[in-house]
Amino acid sequence: MFYRLAGVHHTRYETARALWPIPADRKQVIVAGLIALVAPFFLSTLYLGSYMLPWLIWSSAALSLTLLMGMAGQLHFGFASVMAIGAYTSIHLARLGIPFELALIGAGAMSAVIGTVFGAAALRVKGLYLVIATLAMQYLVDWVIINVPAISGGAQATLRTPEVSFLLFPIESLTSRYYLALGWAALLAVFLMNVKRTSFGRALTAIRDKDFAAAVIGVDPFRYKLMAFFTSSFMGGVTGAMLAFCFYRAVTPEQFSFNVSIQLVAMVLVGGLGSVIGGFLGAAFVLLIPIVLTNFVAGLAASGWLAISSNLLAHVPLMIYGALIIGFLLLEPLGLAKIYDNTRKYFLVWPFRHSRS
Amino acid sequence: MRKFKRGLLAVGLLAGVAFSGVAHAQDNEPIKFGLLQDFTAVYTFVSGEYNQGQQDYLTLINEEGGVDGHMVEAIVRDTGNEPQRGIEAYNRAREEGAILVDFLSTPVSRALVDRVLSDEIVMITALHGRGDASAGETFPYIFPMMATYWSQATVLAQYIKDNEGGLEGKKIALVHIDSPFGREPVPVLEDLAEKEGFELSTFPYPSPGNEQSAVWSEVRRFRPDHVMIWGAGGGQPVSVREAIRNGIPADQIYSVVWLAETDVENVGADVMTGVKRFEAVSTGTDNPILERIQETVIDADLGAGEADNVGTTYYNIGVATMAVAVEAARLALETEGAPLTGPKLKAGFEMIKDFNAERLMPPVTITAADHQGGGAGRVSQWNGEAWEPVGEWGAAYQDVVQMEIDAGAKAFAEGN
Repeated sequence: MFYRLAGVHHTRYETARALWPIPADRKQVIVAGLIALVAPFFLSTLYLGSYMLPWLIWSSAALSLTLLMGMAGQLHFGFASVMAIGAYTSIHLARLGIPFELALIGAGAMSAVIGTVFGAAALRVKGLYLVIATLAMQYLVDWVIINVPAISGGAQATLRTPEVSFLLFPIESLTSRYYLALGWAALLAVFLMNVKRTSFGRALTAIRDKDFAAAVIGVDPFRYKLMAFFTSSFMGGVTGAMLAFCFYRAVTPEQFSFNVSIQLVAMVLVGGLGSVIGGFLGAAFVLLIPIVLTNFVAGLAASGWLAISSNLLAHVPLMIYGALIIGFLLLEPLGLAKIYDNTRKYFLVWPFRHSRS
Repeated sequence: MRKFKRGLLAVGLLAGVAFSGVAHAQDNEPIKFGLLQDFTAVYTFVSGEYNQGQQDYLTLINEEGGVDGHMVEAIVRDTGNEPQRGIEAYNRAREEGAILVDFLSTPVSRALVDRVLSDEIVMITALHGRGDASAGETFPYIFPMMATYWSQATVLAQYIKDNEGGLEGKKIALVHIDSPFGREPVPVLEDLAEKEGFELSTFPYPSPGNEQSAVWSEVRRFRPDHVMIWGAGGGQPVSVREAIRNGIPADQIYSVVWLAETDVENVGADVMTGVKRFEAVSTGTDNPILERIQETVIDADLGAGEADNVGTTYYNIGVATMAVAVEAARLALETEGAPLTGPKLKAGFEMIKDFNAERLMPPVTITAADHQGGGAGRVSQWNGEAWEPVGEWGAAYQDVVQMEIDAGAKAFAEGN
């Protein structure tokens, strides 16, 4: 009823293989896109600048990581350091007077190269061992940034982003920064959805499922593992630059600490491995739920509903958050994307009970 | 129908209450301070007591009739030490009308320096944040308002010079956490080493500092006369314990401001005896303000946390920050009039002269050029039962500190 499947017949391969073969899905995407486009006109600065903008950027980061972790099955626990390399590269390039567009590409390239070097560990080790190898990357990059003043920016270790413009639009006002982040997130989303339909994406899936089985059927694990690290790190590097220029506007080492890496992994896992909508949902969950809970609990306390000490008060949101994570994982181990998928399938054939697939 | 009427009545009543609230607020609008701190991640060792002190002091002021009749309202939120949450909390507090923010978190404060400067909101960065923000002309809305880490290092050096037989020819070890905060005193101490002719050697230990044994055996080989420990939270008791295990006498250990009652408990009160630390605000309840807090707030059950915390090191630091802020608000209301705004409060801060919060802290004079307020402090020593001051309030080598401040401020003005 909602999706109106009746009458949707694909007579050509192109329509059947379209990104959204069902018109209702297409309409939902268009509506979501339109809402995102006009958001600056109806959202207050608070919600645009502190919720939408960071959500889009962290979603981009989760999407970059999900290519590696979800599609290619290579665990990465140091993705924040990849973003740090991108952020610092872009900021130093922009300060040297290189146009911002090129600085972004440079940021991606630098992250991709360094990320691939560390990713080479994946050629020898898998699973938990790869986690440790990528952790080493996190700590090495952190150490280098903190200990090389030329990178971190001297005693105070803070680098402010210079004024830049992207394709002639100055990236200064909140609106322009929002649109740039939106554009990047949209680009990544479309890219990732298409990757799944290419031979590259299928090769990554083969490697994820069993790398030597993939080798048997002619997928070169050496090449595709490195390509996965390269692509993912490139996207992560540009996202790091976006984070620096669109959101923080000043870069310090703490912004890319180990905690951030863990948060990114959590986004990918809670959202659903390898899923595009899962990237967005996971980022919203990990990034925004703590903020919303903190304000909710503080609001409850202010109106007298929750008379406890301020120390306990600060920890109540954490408890609820922890319970939420456990709850979601018990309810649906495949992540928020799967919950979305189940809901969609339910409405696909509503009012009947069962759907195909 | 009756239900409907009753509903209407309720709505009317609610509206009436709301309107009277608005009318009342216009007379004496409350002054809002955003205390957006890290209660759950890295700064937990200080935030609880610090924030409790801040809230209790504000309650005291409100119970005593407010600042010229204006109540002071604290907006308290947890940021978890994450810059993005700090930015959200800041933007929200600003929308709610906060004119002063205190993050007590270096990453969050650093991320927001540019925003508070352009939004014209006062940010106090007592004992955290950028030391070079003392340069008031470059950072008009940022107030470190207590001794920066640079000033703390110079006060400790001055103490050694005056009380431990001079600095010349001495060997001083700086054992610090390997982070920008830990490295902060290094340039000032290097300058002093050259000036006073002592030998300085620095020993960084990896963050977070629960494992330092390798570093301390190196320190032992260096055979220092005095040791300065520069860490915070869980690393501090480890430093003290390792120093004593490596044969360094307790009374030759000098700590940055972050050494308090909890660390004493962790090390052991008797083992700790003799250890000295920098002190920015006096500890204990022997002070008119603390006595009034006890009477008006704690005894009336209005306190924000456990009564045992009253008078602890970090509690008193919290009280002192709010004492300075309230004094600034009072001066601003006096000269600039209500309603208070960021720029007016800033002017109030810059009018503070010889303010010592009834002997709770050294006299502070904040000017448009000097937002540090003089950089004074003193050394106190753990005597087995309490932190006992062993020196007078005072600042030292401010010329050396000023060089660092100027260099940092110049770099910031150039875009760093």
